[in-house]
Amino acid sequence: MRLAYKLDDAMSSAEGAAPRPAPTRLDRLESEAVYILREAAAFVRPALLFSGGKDSAVLLHLALKAFAPQKPGFKLLHIDTGHNFPEVIAYRDQRARQTGLDLIVREVEESIRRGSVRVESETASRNAAQAVTLVEAQQEFEFDALIGGARRDEEKARAKERVFSHRDAFGAWRPRAQRPELWSLFNRRLGAGEHMRVFPLSNWTEADVWAYIARERIELPRLYYAHERAVVRRAGLLFPVTALTPAGENETIESLTVRFRTVGDITCTCPVESTAEGAEEVLRETLTASVSERGATRIDDRANAAAMERRKLEGYF
Amino acid sequence: MDAAGLSSAVIAAPGAQIRFMTAGSVDDGKSTLIGRLLLDSGALMRDQVDTLGAEDLANLTDGLEAERAQGITIDVAYRYFATPQTSFVIADAPGHEQYTRNMVTAASNSDLAVLVIDATRVVDGVLRPQTRRHATIAALMGLDLIVAVNKMDALGWSQERFEDVRAAVDDLAGGLGLRNVRCIPISAQRGDNVVRRGGADWWAGPTLIELIKRSHGARDFSNDRLRMPIQTLLRDGAKRLYAGRMESGVVRPGDTVAVGAAKTLAAVARVCVAGRPAPMGVAGDSIAIELTEERDAARGDVIADVGVRYVRSVTADLCWLDEDAWVKGRRYQFRQGALETQALIEDVHFVRDVADLSERPAPASLRLNDIASVRISTRDPILADLYRGGGGPGAFVLFDPQTNQTCAAGMIREAL
Repeated sequence: MRLAYKLDDAMSSAEGAAPRPAPTRLDRLESEAVYILREAAAFVRPALLFSGGKDSAVLLHLALKAFAPQKPGFKLLHIDTGHNFPEVIAYRDQRARQTGLDLIVREVEESIRRGSVRVESETASRNAAQAVTLVEAQQEFEFDALIGGARRDEEKARAKERVFSHRDAFGAWRPRAQRPELWSLFNRRLGAGEHMRVFPLSNWTEADVWAYIARERIELPRLYYAHERAVVRRAGLLFPVTALTPAGENETIESLTVRFRTVGDITCTCPVESTAEGAEEVLRETLTASVSERGATRIDDRANAAAMERRKLEGYF
Repeated sequence: MDAAGLSSAVIAAPGAQIRFMTAGSVDDGKSTLIGRLLLDSGALMRDQVDTLGAEDLANLTDGLEAERAQGITIDVAYRYFATPQTSFVIADAPGHEQYTRNMVTAASNSDLAVLVIDATRVVDGVLRPQTRRHATIAALMGLDLIVAVNKMDALGWSQERFEDVRAAVDDLAGGLGLRNVRCIPISAQRGDNVVRRGGADWWAGPTLIELIKRSHGARDFSNDRLRMPIQTLLRDGAKRLYAGRMESGVVRPGDTVAVGAAKTLAAVARVCVAGRPAPMGVAGDSIAIELTEERDAARGDVIADVGVRYVRSVTADLCWLDEDAWVKGRRYQFRQGALETQALIEDVHFVRDVADLSERPAPASLRLNDIASVRISTRDPILADLYRGGGGPGAFVLFDPQTNQTCAAGMIREAL
């Protein structure tokens, strides 16, 4: 019987296989994300935030890998703004069925009815309001860890986020009191009523996500790829024309070939012109893009450079 | 390069990811350097450039509203940029002394450190205290160091002044036992020798980005002995799989391994990656191992080579990270790999003054930012592995059992 020692011993042994190619950055990122997901599994009641968007699709794919051949021990949780594209909701439900994982949906609409969320109008963006419903759901189910697909490259306030990000009993993030995070020795300790946000994709970029989707052939909602859509132009951005977001009186409706780079709240998510039919073509466009993901497509983030930071302080993901 | 060429290069090439940290004294130009790296490598998007003032590169790394108000960086910020062959993660650590713990955090998650020195402020070969402190921490944490000698344009690219700084750095590096420290003359403001060449006609060496690329990213620990801390157990029908990430070494079906501190020997039946059998697992891989016979092992136990050693007492360098000072006699929660147990700091041998490297003996307490040599004992046996850069079993952290804060980072220097 051979002893496990060093690689060169293993190589020189009779049954030695050819050396493996050096790991790529996607291998490193994948292994790291799997490690983080397995750490998150050590919580009592973890949930994985699954919206049907591309980052959460990658996260779910990684979770299936991390615990194979078992099912991940996570519930899926979606905070539905009521402003989602129907294709994305259909994809969300389909993936939940395929994986056999429990899907919990909590609606911002319900928080509005209860009065814990107030909105200025029916068509105002509900991105910020999600924070309230999320914390309500976290408390309802006593989730002690919420696993999300947020990446540090998305936005300035996210760039300072920990992988294991501690939230107090009010669900709030306190950037000045963040715990130092050393090596991969995560601090999972919680006080009463507190919970952890866990971000396995922290070190991924938008290009990494698309490269991984291409490599792993991860299925996504069709919205992410080129399709014909009725849009209007406002302030240099394209706006989708939907029942919730009709064209203004003096606006010209155009039918363009577009794709979405993010698929959040309909009222604040804009498509870009594109002919990309698959993940590799999207990746090619991403690598040569001149406008950042959120800058191109999220109106609410453009409104105020500090918008994300303020929302995070209040419990936003 | 055309778009099609770029895409296939990024998808097909080995494409390492290099994680490096930046450090430097306040106002030495660290934020400007990061802005320059992002700008000249084409990582900035149009909307991000639009929000900048004229060439105000430092604004790019400003994050939180609070620090914009204070004018200092208060936390570690991560930045991402890519060239066709390589992607980079920058951990931007603050220069302000009050937040040195964040430098330790950034260092622990980096493959190497880039230390920025303002050449105009090195007088008579004396480096500033914060520069010495940062170099010391990089040395303690086993990081390779690249020194960016900045603001050379303000010195008319004087080769003599550059050599003065280099001599001071070599002196410091010698005292710290740092080898292969590279100095490079740059101007972050003008972009000389950062991504593109410029400034000094006497400089024949590489640009900063070329130097960073030579590090090839994460260190390869496949030649070290097998260590796989078990994170969780998985079931495959009636069979049990031990899942974790390999800290070091190689494991293949047929290998004999030692399981847990009891060092129960077992043979590896199967190595799985993502639920599928693989010919081997190598350092850095997240894998699952099936043994030919089940062993009583759980999260926190380690699957290791048969020569592994466990101890209950070690000497370590400890960086204190908490506002609350160390309390003598208090038990702290100790984490090494996936193992959590209790630990007691039995002895503080000395606190190191990181400015002049002197040792202050037998201090009564350890406070925020102190770096001390301590003897620490643990309730359960821990791996006797010594620290090497890049984490691994020689690294541990302490948590405060009451406040739950992460209060210290430790590096094992001697197993007792």
